[in-house]
Amino acid sequence: MESVHASIPLSNFIVLSSILFSIGVYGVLARRNAVLMLMSVELMLNAVSINMVAFAVYTAPTFFVGIIFAVFVITIAAAEVGLALAIVLRVFRNRGTANVDEIDTLKW
Amino acid sequence: MGDAWVLPALPIAGFVVLLLFSPWLPRKGDWLAIGLMALAFVLVLVIGRDVQNAIGDGNFHGVARSWQWSNIPGALEIRMGTFVDQITLVMLFVVTLVATMMMVYSTSYMHGDRRYGWFFAIVSLFVASMLTLVLADNLLLLYFAWELVGLCSMLLIGYYNDKQSAAEAAKKAFITTRVGDVGLLIGIIILFTQTHTFNIQQILHMAEAGDINSKWLTGAAICMFAGACGKSAQFPLHVWLPDAMEGPTPVSALIHAATMVVAGVYLVARMLPLFEVVNGMPELITVIGLITTLGAALIGLTQRDIKRVVAYSTLNSLGLMMVALGSGAVGAAMLYLFVHAFFKASLFLASGSVIHATEEQEVDKLGGLWSKMPITAPVFVIGAAAMAGLIPLSGFWAKDEILAGLYHGPIDHAALVLVLISLPITALYMTRVVLLTFFGEPKDHHVFEHAHESPPAMTAPIAILAVLTVVGGFVIFEGVGKALGFHSGWLGFVYNAAEGPEQFKVVWWLSIFSVVSVGASILAGAWIWGGAAEPSKRAAAFSPFFYRMSLNRFYVDELYQLIIDKVVLASGRAVAWFDRAIVNDSGVNGTGEATGYLGFLAKYSQTGKIPNYALGIVVGVVVIAIVAFGYRT
Repeated sequence: MESVHASIPLSNFIVLSSILFSIGVYGVLARRNAVLMLMSVELMLNAVSINMVAFAVYTAPTFFVGIIFAVFVITIAAAEVGLALAIVLRVFRNRGTANVDEIDTLKW
Repeated sequence: MGDAWVLPALPIAGFVVLLLFSPWLPRKGDWLAIGLMALAFVLVLVIGRDVQNAIGDGNFHGVARSWQWSNIPGALEIRMGTFVDQITLVMLFVVTLVATMMMVYSTSYMHGDRRYGWFFAIVSLFVASMLTLVLADNLLLLYFAWELVGLCSMLLIGYYNDKQSAAEAAKKAFITTRVGDVGLLIGIIILFTQTHTFNIQQILHMAEAGDINSKWLTGAAICMFAGACGKSAQFPLHVWLPDAMEGPTPVSALIHAATMVVAGVYLVARMLPLFEVVNGMPELITVIGLITTLGAALIGLTQRDIKRVVAYSTLNSLGLMMVALGSGAVGAAMLYLFVHAFFKASLFLASGSVIHATEEQEVDKLGGLWSKMPITAPVFVIGAAAMAGLIPLSGFWAKDEILAGLYHGPIDHAALVLVLISLPITALYMTRVVLLTFFGEPKDHHVFEHAHESPPAMTAPIAILAVLTVVGGFVIFEGVGKALGFHSGWLGFVYNAAEGPEQFKVVWWLSIFSVVSVGASILAGAWIWGGAAEPSKRAAAFSPFFYRMSLNRFYVDELYQLIIDKVVLASGRAVAWFDRAIVNDSGVNGTGEATGYLGFLAKYSQTGKIPNYALGIVVGVVVIAIVAFGYRT
């Protein structure tokens, strides 16, 4: 483990995680297709996992909380995506479109 | 004397019973009211006997009895109760006697009226409040009774509640006396803050001893005198009394002649030791009294309604009583109050008898009634003569005593001169109304044919009052006083030994002057208004300005209406505008609408588009991150 510490500083991983997270946020906000929004959400979740694991390895290697957290995140992401795609499918059949911009009947 | 509280309790019981049950009582319960009033009168005589025994040689300072009413230790300890002294006794006698006479009279005058039972109920309430007023030993109880008396007066003036003019008159009476009552209340409060007591005797002792700050005392005295002016219809609060003639005539006799209007005189007489300590107060009282008496006398010369003439004569008398009090002549003022109750009540009741018989009030339609009304006419003439001050009727002795009081008193003799001028004017207008009503050719034959004497229930009380008018003045003599059981004549009765004159001293030249001027004036009146009344028409044509001023009551009512319209109602409109435009429209409605508008604008944030909401979440998270964690660097 020491080699990891010496060669790649923690900040790299944090920056990586932040960049991935920001790209994910941008994707969520700017994509019109619902499936692409979900993909961006996945990207955000993975970014968070990277962050957790990096902290776990670098600061408390014998305390596996971060790694366990990442395992939970992956599991829940999988479940959530299944559910979300089912909803998107339903909406598509109902409204005829997967564009989130056009699903705005619950407005003023 | 300690049980004097029973006196108001009797008519109060009558009021309650009549108010609740009168429709089901036989004759609507008038016998109950009259019975209680007669019982009260008998009790007054009993109290009088007690006072006689207590006076002894003439050092009687009144008997008080009180009960704890409120007790907040250190802050507010009020006792309510009764205080009986000579002045109280005079008032009690007058009130109960005239009330009994008036109630008997009303059984006939008000017979068959729709609100007969209610009439007797309210008159009983009135007498109860008046008795409480004169018995009160503290200013707070006096004020309660004062207001209650005003209320009953208003209710009774507006008795004919289907007449617009009666309602207006009742409103005017109440509001005008209210203006004075505010002054009275302020005066009472000022005195309380300075002396920490409401008890009248204690306040008077403190005032005489000089324990009260003189500026506050002056303010309190002026305010209390304003209250007396309102109730006793002194200038400038006199305007309600002539209009109060809208009420039934027995009401006018009781309330606006004999009892309520003298409540102000009673107040001034009671608080006189306090008023005399204040610089300039006696002069103020005298001036107001003079304006009232002279103004009323001049107005009475031209009025056409018989009740109005008697009303202005009441104003005349009230002004005279105030002038007497201004000179400190309490005995004279109380004597005048005593005899005035009799002759004024008899004048009113007799004019009521005339109205009852002829259904007419204007002297333009009356005339020659002497032959048709053999009891009413002499009663009225006796009353008028007493009012004018014809010797040996009671009015003469009382006026003479007032003149003597003015002569010996501290006020400048200009006041005496003005009163001497007012005497013949008084005689003149009383002669006028007597001649125009009872003598000469009847001016309306239909009315004359219809006229008849009134039933005994009406003529008996006025006859009794006429007898009292004739003999009432003789109490001023020591011999008469001793014969009645008192230790001295009137003055010795009213004043204690150390305080004032005991004997009735005659100022000869004043008495002779007044007799001569009154006699001459009566003869002049007979010449002016006798026969076809040519000289009166010439006089009216000679000076239309004075005639119009007198006929229109010096335009005081019009002036007040102008002030009400231009000042009171105008400022009311301004305040109403402020309330409507600023408080309501801008404030209450405005803030509501503004909030609604903001909500209207806010709804556009609900676009329904998920990316918008997502953006909102992201921005929120960033803001929280900066605010919560950004300070740590």
